[in-house]
Amino acid sequence: MIAKIKISKSERIILIFLIILGVFTFTSLIILKNKCLFVKNYNPNDIKFDNPENIVILNAECGNVIIELYPNISPNAVKRLKKLIKLGAYDDAAFHRVIEGKLIQAGDLEFGRKENLDYGRVGSGKSGLGTIKSELDGKFKYERGTVGLARTFELDTEDSQFFIILQDEPLFEGEYTPVGKVLYGLEVLEKVKFVAQFHIVPRPDFINSFKMLN
Amino acid sequence: MILFRAILLFFIFIAPLKADTIYNLIKIPNLEVYKIDTKNSLRYLYATKPFRLGINVKKNINCYNSDKKTLDKKYKIIKKNLDEYSLSFLKKINLKYIVLCENLSIAGINTAGIPNNKTRTLILDIKFNENHLERAIHHELFHIINDNYKELFNENIWKNLNKKNFEYSKCSTCSDNWNLELLNNKSGFFTEYAKSTASEDMAEVFSHLMFYKNEVYSNDPIIEKKILFIKKNVLKIDSTFKF
Repeated sequence: MIAKIKISKSERIILIFLIILGVFTFTSLIILKNKCLFVKNYNPNDIKFDNPENIVILNAECGNVIIELYPNISPNAVKRLKKLIKLGAYDDAAFHRVIEGKLIQAGDLEFGRKENLDYGRVGSGKSGLGTIKSELDGKFKYERGTVGLARTFELDTEDSQFFIILQDEPLFEGEYTPVGKVLYGLEVLEKVKFVAQFHIVPRPDFINSFKMLN
Repeated sequence: MILFRAILLFFIFIAPLKADTIYNLIKIPNLEVYKIDTKNSLRYLYATKPFRLGINVKKNINCYNSDKKTLDKKYKIIKKNLDEYSLSFLKKINLKYIVLCENLSIAGINTAGIPNNKTRTLILDIKFNENHLERAIHHELFHIINDNYKELFNENIWKNLNKKNFEYSKCSTCSDNWNLELLNNKSGFFTEYAKSTASEDMAEVFSHLMFYKNEVYSNDPIIEKKILFIKKNVLKIDSTFKF
Protein backbone atom coordinates (compact mmCIF):
# COMPACT_ATOMS: atom_id res chain seq x y z
CA MET A 1 0.00 0.00 0.00
CA ILE A 2 1.32 3.37 -0.96
CA ALA A 3 1.25 5.85 1.81
CA LYS A 4 -0.24 9.23 0.94
CA ILE A 5 2.43 11.91 1.30
CA LYS A 6 1.18 15.21 2.54
CA ILE A 7 2.61 18.29 0.82
CA SER A 8 4.60 20.44 3.19
CA LYS A 9 4.06 24.18 3.63
CA SER A 10 7.37 25.14 2.00
CA GLU A 11 6.65 22.87 -0.97
CA ARG A 12 3.27 24.54 -1.38
CA ILE A 13 4.95 27.97 -1.44
CA ILE A 14 7.45 26.83 -4.08
CA LEU A 15 4.64 25.36 -6.19
CA ILE A 16 2.60 28.58 -6.02
CA PHE A 17 5.74 30.59 -6.89
CA LEU A 18 6.43 28.37 -9.91
CA ILE A 19 2.83 28.69 -11.12
CA ILE A 20 2.96 32.52 -10.78
CA LEU A 21 6.32 32.58 -12.56
CA GLY A 22 4.94 30.45 -15.38
CA VAL A 23 1.86 32.63 -15.81
CA PHE A 24 4.00 35.79 -15.73
CA THR A 25 6.46 34.42 -18.30
CA PHE A 26 3.68 33.27 -20.60
CA THR A 27 1.80 36.59 -20.52
CA SER A 28 5.01 38.58 -20.87
CA LEU A 29 5.91 36.62 -23.96
CA ILE A 30 2.54 37.34 -25.52
CA ILE A 31 2.76 41.04 -24.65
CA LEU A 32 6.35 41.40 -25.83
CA LYS A 33 5.70 39.56 -29.06
CA ASN A 34 2.68 41.62 -29.93
CA LYS A 35 4.09 45.13 -30.32
CA CYS A 36 0.68 46.47 -31.28
CA LEU A 37 -1.13 45.27 -28.17
CA PHE A 38 -1.60 48.67 -26.54
CA VAL A 39 -1.83 50.72 -29.72
CA LYS A 40 -5.19 52.25 -30.40
CA ASN A 41 -6.46 51.64 -33.90
CA TYR A 42 -8.57 54.57 -35.06
CA ASN A 43 -11.48 53.94 -37.37
CA PRO A 44 -11.82 56.95 -39.70
CA ASN A 45 -15.53 56.22 -40.14
CA ASP A 46 -16.09 57.00 -36.46
CA ILE A 47 -14.54 60.46 -36.76
CA LYS A 48 -16.04 63.58 -38.24
CA PHE A 49 -13.60 65.67 -40.30
CA ASP A 50 -13.88 69.32 -41.36
CA ASN A 51 -12.15 68.69 -44.69
CA PRO A 52 -12.84 65.05 -45.57
CA GLU A 53 -11.51 65.56 -49.11
CA ASN A 54 -8.06 66.18 -47.64
CA ILE A 55 -8.01 63.22 -45.27
CA VAL A 56 -5.85 60.21 -46.13
CA ILE A 57 -5.49 56.95 -44.23
CA LEU A 58 -2.16 55.16 -44.02
CA ASN A 59 -2.54 51.64 -42.70
CA ALA A 60 0.52 50.02 -41.10
CA GLU A 61 1.06 46.93 -38.99
CA CYS A 62 -0.35 48.43 -35.80
CA GLY A 63 -3.30 50.26 -37.33
CA ASN A 64 -4.42 53.42 -39.07
CA VAL A 65 -2.62 56.73 -39.27
CA ILE A 66 -5.06 59.49 -40.18
CA ILE A 67 -3.45 62.42 -41.96
CA GLU A 68 -4.86 65.76 -43.04
CA LEU A 69 -3.27 67.20 -46.18
CA TYR A 70 -2.73 70.95 -46.59
CA PRO A 71 -3.34 71.94 -50.24
CA ASN A 72 -3.43 75.62 -49.26
CA ILE A 73 0.15 75.46 -48.07
CA SER A 74 1.72 73.15 -50.66
CA PRO A 75 -0.71 72.71 -53.58
CA ASN A 76 1.67 70.91 -55.93
CA ALA A 77 3.04 68.55 -53.30
CA VAL A 78 -0.45 67.63 -52.11
CA LYS A 79 -1.57 67.11 -55.70
CA ARG A 80 1.35 64.72 -56.26
CA LEU A 81 0.69 62.81 -53.05
CA LYS A 82 -3.02 62.48 -53.79
CA LYS A 83 -2.30 61.26 -57.30
CA LEU A 84 0.01 58.52 -56.04
CA ILE A 85 -2.39 57.56 -53.25
CA LYS A 86 -5.28 57.24 -55.72
CA LEU A 87 -3.08 55.00 -57.89
CA GLY A 88 -2.40 52.78 -54.88
CA ALA A 89 1.29 53.38 -55.49
CA TYR A 90 2.25 53.41 -51.81
CA ASP A 91 0.73 50.03 -50.96
CA ASP A 92 3.53 47.66 -49.91
CA ALA A 93 6.14 50.44 -49.84
CA ALA A 94 8.73 50.07 -47.10
CA PHE A 95 9.35 52.38 -44.16
CA HIS A 96 12.94 52.24 -45.29
CA ARG A 97 14.43 54.98 -43.12
CA VAL A 98 13.38 55.06 -39.49
CA ILE A 99 15.18 57.01 -36.77
CA GLU A 100 13.84 56.12 -33.35
CA GLY A 101 11.66 58.82 -31.88
CA LYS A 102 12.65 61.23 -34.61
CA LEU A 103 11.48 60.43 -38.09
CA ILE A 104 10.15 57.76 -40.39
CA GLN A 105 10.49 57.86 -44.15
CA ALA A 106 8.76 55.86 -46.85
CA GLY A 107 7.58 56.10 -50.43
CA ASP A 108 10.46 54.85 -52.56
CA LEU A 109 8.32 53.36 -55.30
CA GLU A 110 11.24 52.10 -57.34
CA PHE A 111 13.55 50.35 -54.88
CA GLY A 112 11.46 50.22 -51.71
CA ARG A 113 8.56 47.93 -52.51
CA LYS A 114 7.94 44.62 -50.80
CA GLU A 115 8.33 42.61 -54.00
CA ASN A 116 11.58 44.24 -55.14
CA LEU A 117 13.27 45.79 -52.13
CA ASP A 118 16.79 46.80 -53.09
CA TYR A 119 18.82 47.57 -49.96
CA GLY A 120 21.64 49.01 -52.02
CA ARG A 121 19.48 51.65 -53.67
CA VAL A 122 16.43 52.15 -51.45
CA GLY A 123 15.92 55.83 -50.79
CA SER A 124 17.08 56.88 -54.24
CA GLY A 125 14.12 55.60 -56.23
CA LYS A 126 11.74 57.63 -58.36
CA SER A 127 8.03 57.51 -59.05
CA GLY A 128 8.32 58.01 -62.79
CA LEU A 129 6.26 61.20 -62.59
CA GLY A 130 9.28 63.48 -62.38
CA THR A 131 10.34 65.85 -59.64
CA ILE A 132 8.35 68.82 -58.39
CA LYS A 133 9.40 72.19 -57.06
CA SER A 134 9.92 72.73 -53.33
CA GLU A 135 7.14 74.76 -51.72
CA LEU A 136 8.79 76.58 -48.86
CA ASP A 137 7.37 80.09 -48.87
CA GLY A 138 4.55 79.70 -46.37
CA LYS A 139 5.19 79.96 -42.65
CA PHE A 140 4.81 76.44 -41.38
CA LYS A 141 5.85 74.96 -38.05
CA TYR A 142 7.38 71.52 -38.20
CA GLU A 143 5.77 70.06 -35.12
CA ARG A 144 5.50 66.41 -34.11
CA GLY A 145 3.33 64.59 -36.61
CA THR A 146 4.11 66.84 -39.57
CA VAL A 147 4.29 65.10 -42.92
CA GLY A 148 6.80 66.48 -45.42
CA LEU A 149 8.11 65.54 -48.81
CA ALA A 150 11.64 64.19 -48.83
CA ARG A 151 14.17 65.48 -51.33
CA THR A 152 17.81 65.06 -52.26
CA PHE A 153 20.41 67.56 -51.05
CA GLU A 154 19.16 69.92 -53.77
CA LEU A 155 15.88 71.84 -53.59
CA ASP A 156 13.17 71.14 -56.20
CA THR A 157 13.86 67.40 -56.22
CA GLU A 158 10.73 66.22 -54.39
CA ASP A 159 9.03 63.20 -55.92
CA SER A 160 7.17 60.44 -54.06
CA GLN A 161 9.10 59.91 -50.83
CA PHE A 162 7.66 61.43 -47.70
CA PHE A 163 8.57 61.54 -44.04
CA ILE A 164 6.67 61.99 -40.81
CA ILE A 165 8.43 63.52 -37.81
CA LEU A 166 8.00 62.08 -34.34
CA GLN A 167 9.37 65.15 -32.57
CA ASP A 168 9.35 68.89 -33.23
CA GLU A 169 11.97 69.83 -35.83
CA PRO A 170 12.27 73.63 -36.13
CA LEU A 171 15.29 73.25 -38.43
CA PHE A 172 13.06 71.62 -41.05
CA GLU A 173 11.07 74.86 -41.43
CA GLY A 174 11.78 76.41 -44.78
CA GLU A 175 13.83 73.37 -45.78
CA TYR A 176 11.28 70.70 -46.62
CA THR A 177 7.91 70.98 -48.31
CA PRO A 178 5.16 70.31 -45.76
CA VAL A 179 2.17 68.33 -47.02
CA GLY A 180 0.09 67.68 -43.93
CA LYS A 181 -0.10 66.51 -40.38
CA VAL A 182 -1.07 63.33 -38.55
CA LEU A 183 -4.39 63.84 -36.78
CA TYR A 184 -4.68 60.39 -35.21
CA GLY A 185 -2.43 57.36 -34.93
CA LEU A 186 1.07 58.70 -34.31
CA GLU A 187 1.54 55.83 -31.86
CA VAL A 188 1.15 53.45 -34.83
CA LEU A 189 4.21 55.07 -36.39
CA GLU A 190 6.16 54.85 -33.15
CA LYS A 191 5.86 51.06 -33.44
CA VAL A 192 7.36 50.92 -36.93
CA LYS A 193 10.51 48.84 -36.96
CA PHE A 194 13.82 50.64 -36.55
CA VAL A 195 17.33 49.37 -35.98
CA ALA A 196 19.63 51.64 -34.03
CA GLN A 197 22.89 52.45 -35.84
CA PHE A 198 21.57 51.16 -39.17
CA HIS A 199 21.15 53.66 -41.96
CA ILE A 200 18.62 51.51 -43.81
CA VAL A 201 16.20 49.33 -41.90
CA PRO A 202 16.90 45.67 -42.72
CA ARG A 203 13.70 43.66 -43.25
CA PRO A 204 11.61 46.82 -42.73
CA ASP A 205 7.93 47.23 -41.98
CA PHE A 206 5.70 48.10 -44.92
CA ILE A 207 2.71 50.32 -45.60
CA ASN A 208 -0.26 47.99 -45.95
CA SER A 209 -2.35 50.58 -47.74
CA PHE A 210 -2.52 54.33 -48.24
CA LYS A 211 -5.96 55.58 -49.28
CA MET A 212 -8.09 58.68 -49.52
CA LEU A 213 -10.89 58.83 -46.96
CA ASN A 214 -13.46 59.30 -49.72
CA MET B 1 28.76 37.54 -56.70
CA ILE B 2 26.55 36.62 -53.75
CA LEU B 3 29.52 37.08 -51.41
CA PHE B 4 30.27 40.47 -52.96
CA ARG B 5 26.65 41.59 -52.48
CA ALA B 6 26.70 40.32 -48.89
CA ILE B 7 29.88 42.28 -48.12
CA LEU B 8 28.43 45.39 -49.81
CA LEU B 9 25.20 45.15 -47.83
CA PHE B 10 27.18 44.61 -44.62
CA PHE B 11 29.03 47.89 -45.16
CA ILE B 12 25.80 49.68 -46.06
CA PHE B 13 24.17 48.48 -42.88
CA ILE B 14 27.04 49.32 -40.58
CA ALA B 15 27.45 52.83 -42.01
CA PRO B 16 27.03 55.17 -39.04
CA LEU B 17 23.54 56.52 -38.77
CA LYS B 18 23.47 60.22 -39.61
CA ALA B 19 20.48 61.07 -37.49
CA ASP B 20 21.96 64.50 -36.98
CA THR B 21 19.48 66.92 -38.55
CA ILE B 22 22.05 69.68 -39.04
CA TYR B 23 24.48 67.32 -40.73
CA ASN B 24 21.75 66.18 -43.09
CA LEU B 25 20.98 69.76 -44.02
CA ILE B 26 24.42 71.29 -44.51
CA LYS B 27 26.85 68.37 -44.34
CA ILE B 28 28.93 69.79 -41.52
CA PRO B 29 29.38 67.53 -38.50
CA ASN B 30 29.55 68.40 -34.79
CA LEU B 31 27.23 71.40 -34.87
CA GLU B 32 24.40 72.47 -32.61
CA VAL B 33 21.87 75.26 -32.78
CA TYR B 34 22.97 78.53 -31.19
CA LYS B 35 20.01 80.64 -32.29
CA ILE B 36 17.42 80.09 -34.98
CA ASP B 37 14.52 82.42 -34.28
CA THR B 38 16.15 85.52 -35.71
CA LYS B 39 14.44 88.42 -37.43
CA ASN B 40 15.97 87.68 -40.84
CA SER B 41 15.67 83.89 -40.33
CA LEU B 42 19.43 83.33 -40.32
CA ARG B 43 20.21 80.19 -38.37
CA TYR B 44 23.27 80.42 -36.16
CA LEU B 45 25.01 77.14 -35.41
CA TYR B 46 28.15 76.50 -33.39
CA ALA B 47 30.76 73.79 -33.32
CA THR B 48 30.62 71.50 -30.31
CA LYS B 49 33.78 69.69 -31.42
CA PRO B 50 36.41 70.38 -34.08
CA PHE B 51 35.35 69.47 -37.61
CA ARG B 52 37.01 68.81 -40.92
CA LEU B 53 35.39 69.34 -44.27
CA GLY B 54 36.41 68.75 -47.79
CA ILE B 55 35.89 70.47 -51.04
CA ASN B 56 35.82 67.60 -53.53
CA VAL B 57 37.71 64.70 -51.94
CA LYS B 58 40.33 66.47 -49.84
CA LYS B 59 39.27 67.36 -46.33
CA ASN B 60 41.29 70.51 -46.06
CA ILE B 61 38.95 72.80 -44.15
CA ASN B 62 39.39 72.76 -40.38
CA CYS B 63 37.66 74.59 -37.60
CA TYR B 64 37.50 74.23 -33.82
CA ASN B 65 34.87 74.60 -31.16
CA SER B 66 34.96 77.67 -28.97
CA ASP B 67 34.21 78.33 -25.31
CA LYS B 68 30.79 79.66 -24.38
CA LYS B 69 32.04 83.04 -23.21
CA THR B 70 33.75 83.79 -26.53
CA LEU B 71 30.78 82.43 -28.43
CA ASP B 72 28.30 84.63 -26.57
CA LYS B 73 30.46 87.71 -27.02
CA LYS B 74 31.18 87.21 -30.72
CA TYR B 75 27.65 86.14 -31.56
CA LYS B 76 26.38 89.59 -30.57
CA ILE B 77 28.90 91.27 -32.88
CA ILE B 78 28.22 88.93 -35.78
CA LYS B 79 24.46 89.14 -35.41
CA LYS B 80 24.54 92.94 -35.24
CA ASN B 81 26.31 93.02 -38.60
CA LEU B 82 24.25 90.32 -40.29
CA ASP B 83 21.00 91.90 -39.08
CA GLU B 84 21.63 94.54 -41.72
CA TYR B 85 20.54 92.04 -44.36
CA SER B 86 16.83 91.46 -44.80
CA LEU B 87 15.22 88.04 -45.10
CA SER B 88 14.23 88.72 -48.71
CA PHE B 89 17.80 89.70 -49.62
CA LEU B 90 19.25 86.65 -47.87
CA LYS B 91 16.83 84.45 -49.79
CA LYS B 92 17.96 86.01 -53.04
CA ILE B 93 21.62 85.40 -52.27
CA ASN B 94 20.99 81.94 -50.87
CA LEU B 95 22.29 82.36 -47.34
CA LYS B 96 20.61 80.66 -44.41
CA TYR B 97 23.17 79.13 -42.04
CA ILE B 98 25.98 80.81 -40.12
CA VAL B 99 28.46 78.43 -38.53
CA LEU B 100 30.44 79.83 -35.61
CA CYS B 101 33.78 78.24 -34.79
CA GLU B 102 37.37 79.30 -34.23
CA ASN B 103 40.74 78.99 -35.95
CA LEU B 104 39.15 78.35 -39.30
CA SER B 105 41.62 77.35 -41.97
CA ILE B 106 41.66 76.06 -45.50
CA ALA B 107 44.69 74.10 -46.65
CA GLY B 108 46.46 75.29 -43.51
CA ILE B 109 45.86 78.99 -44.25
CA ASN B 110 43.78 80.86 -41.70
CA THR B 111 40.73 82.62 -43.04
CA ALA B 112 37.92 84.78 -41.65
CA GLY B 113 35.19 82.85 -43.36
CA ILE B 114 34.29 80.23 -45.90
CA PRO B 115 31.10 80.72 -47.89
CA ASN B 116 29.27 77.91 -49.63
CA ASN B 117 26.28 78.95 -51.68
CA LYS B 118 25.27 75.34 -52.41
CA THR B 119 24.73 74.57 -48.74
CA ARG B 120 23.60 78.18 -48.10
CA THR B 121 26.22 78.35 -45.39
CA LEU B 122 28.82 80.81 -44.21
CA ILE B 123 31.41 79.49 -41.76
CA LEU B 124 32.91 82.29 -39.65
CA ASP B 125 36.03 82.27 -37.53
CA ILE B 126 34.90 84.04 -34.37
CA LYS B 127 38.49 84.49 -33.24
CA PHE B 128 39.51 86.30 -36.41
CA ASN B 129 41.48 89.52 -35.88
CA GLU B 130 39.19 91.68 -33.72
CA ASN B 131 40.07 94.86 -35.60
CA HIS B 132 38.72 93.45 -38.82
CA LEU B 133 36.14 90.87 -37.77
CA GLU B 134 33.06 93.02 -38.43
CA ARG B 135 34.19 94.09 -41.85
CA ALA B 136 35.30 90.55 -42.66
CA ILE B 137 31.73 89.35 -42.07
CA HIS B 138 30.51 91.58 -44.90
CA HIS B 139 33.50 90.63 -47.00
CA GLU B 140 32.69 86.93 -46.74
CA LEU B 141 29.02 87.57 -47.32
CA PHE B 142 29.91 89.30 -50.56
CA HIS B 143 31.51 86.10 -51.80
CA ILE B 144 28.11 84.42 -51.40
CA ILE B 145 26.53 87.24 -53.41
CA ASN B 146 29.24 86.94 -56.06
CA ASP B 147 28.93 83.15 -56.29
CA ASN B 148 25.20 83.47 -56.91
CA TYR B 149 25.37 86.35 -59.38
CA LYS B 150 28.59 85.81 -61.32
CA GLU B 151 27.08 87.45 -64.40
CA LEU B 152 26.47 90.72 -62.54
CA PHE B 153 29.94 90.93 -61.06
CA ASN B 154 31.83 90.44 -64.28
CA GLU B 155 35.55 90.34 -63.50
CA ASN B 156 36.64 91.60 -66.91
CA ILE B 157 34.58 94.76 -66.53
CA TRP B 158 35.92 95.14 -63.00
CA LYS B 159 39.55 94.72 -64.07
CA ASN B 160 39.11 97.56 -66.55
CA LEU B 161 38.34 99.91 -63.69
CA ASN B 162 41.95 99.62 -62.51
CA LYS B 163 44.98 101.43 -63.87
CA LYS B 164 46.06 99.99 -67.23
CA ASN B 165 49.28 98.37 -66.09
CA PHE B 166 47.82 96.75 -62.96
CA GLU B 167 47.45 92.97 -62.69
CA TYR B 168 45.97 90.95 -59.85
CA SER B 169 47.80 87.96 -58.36
CA LYS B 170 46.88 84.52 -59.64
CA CYS B 171 44.94 83.65 -56.48
CA SER B 172 43.83 85.20 -53.20
CA THR B 173 46.66 83.52 -51.29
CA CYS B 174 49.34 83.97 -53.94
CA SER B 175 50.21 87.45 -52.75
CA ASP B 176 52.66 87.96 -49.88
CA ASN B 177 50.76 90.92 -48.55
CA TRP B 178 47.41 90.13 -46.91
CA ASN B 179 47.22 93.39 -45.00
CA LEU B 180 43.66 94.47 -44.26
CA GLU B 181 44.51 97.97 -43.07
CA LEU B 182 42.98 100.84 -45.00
CA LEU B 183 45.29 102.29 -47.66
CA ASN B 184 45.24 106.01 -48.22
CA ASN B 185 47.36 106.43 -51.29
CA LYS B 186 44.84 106.70 -54.13
CA SER B 187 46.00 103.43 -55.60
CA GLY B 188 42.48 102.33 -56.46
CA PHE B 189 42.35 99.76 -53.65
CA PHE B 190 41.03 99.85 -50.13
CA THR B 191 43.63 97.41 -48.79
CA GLU B 192 46.68 95.49 -49.90
CA TYR B 193 44.60 92.32 -49.78
CA ALA B 194 42.25 93.83 -52.38
CA LYS B 195 45.09 93.60 -54.87
CA SER B 196 45.06 89.81 -54.71
CA THR B 197 42.14 88.99 -57.04
CA ALA B 198 39.20 90.78 -58.64
CA SER B 199 36.67 88.98 -56.44
CA GLU B 200 38.62 89.82 -53.27
CA ASP B 201 38.82 93.43 -54.44
CA MET B 202 35.05 93.51 -54.95
CA ALA B 203 34.53 91.94 -51.53
CA GLU B 204 36.80 94.57 -49.97
CA VAL B 205 34.82 97.39 -51.61
CA PHE B 206 31.53 95.87 -50.51
CA SER B 207 32.70 95.30 -46.95
CA HIS B 208 34.01 98.87 -46.64
CA LEU B 209 30.70 100.16 -47.95
CA MET B 210 28.76 98.07 -45.45
CA PHE B 211 31.00 98.74 -42.49
CA TYR B 212 31.87 102.43 -42.90
CA LYS B 213 28.57 103.35 -44.58
CA ASN B 214 28.61 106.96 -45.79
CA GLU B 215 31.95 107.63 -44.17
CA VAL B 216 33.63 105.32 -46.61
CA TYR B 217 36.87 106.76 -47.97
CA SER B 218 36.22 107.75 -51.54
CA ASN B 219 38.48 110.53 -52.70
CA ASP B 220 39.97 108.14 -55.20
CA PRO B 221 38.41 108.12 -58.69
CA ILE B 222 39.04 104.41 -59.21
CA ILE B 223 37.51 103.50 -55.87
CA GLU B 224 34.54 105.73 -56.65
CA LYS B 225 33.96 103.82 -59.87
CA LYS B 226 34.26 100.55 -58.00
CA ILE B 227 31.76 101.69 -55.37
CA LEU B 228 29.30 102.63 -58.10
CA PHE B 229 29.77 99.25 -59.78
CA ILE B 230 29.09 97.34 -56.55
CA LYS B 231 26.10 99.50 -55.58
CA LYS B 232 24.53 99.31 -59.03
CA ASN B 233 24.78 95.54 -59.21
CA VAL B 234 23.71 94.79 -55.64
CA LEU B 235 20.64 96.96 -56.27
CA LYS B 236 19.90 94.84 -59.33
CA ILE B 237 19.58 91.87 -56.99
CA ASP B 238 17.40 93.74 -54.53
CA SER B 239 16.26 97.28 -55.28
CA THR B 240 15.39 97.84 -51.61
CA PHE B 241 18.90 97.06 -50.40
CA LYS B 242 20.33 99.69 -48.05
CA PHE B 243 24.04 100.44 -47.99
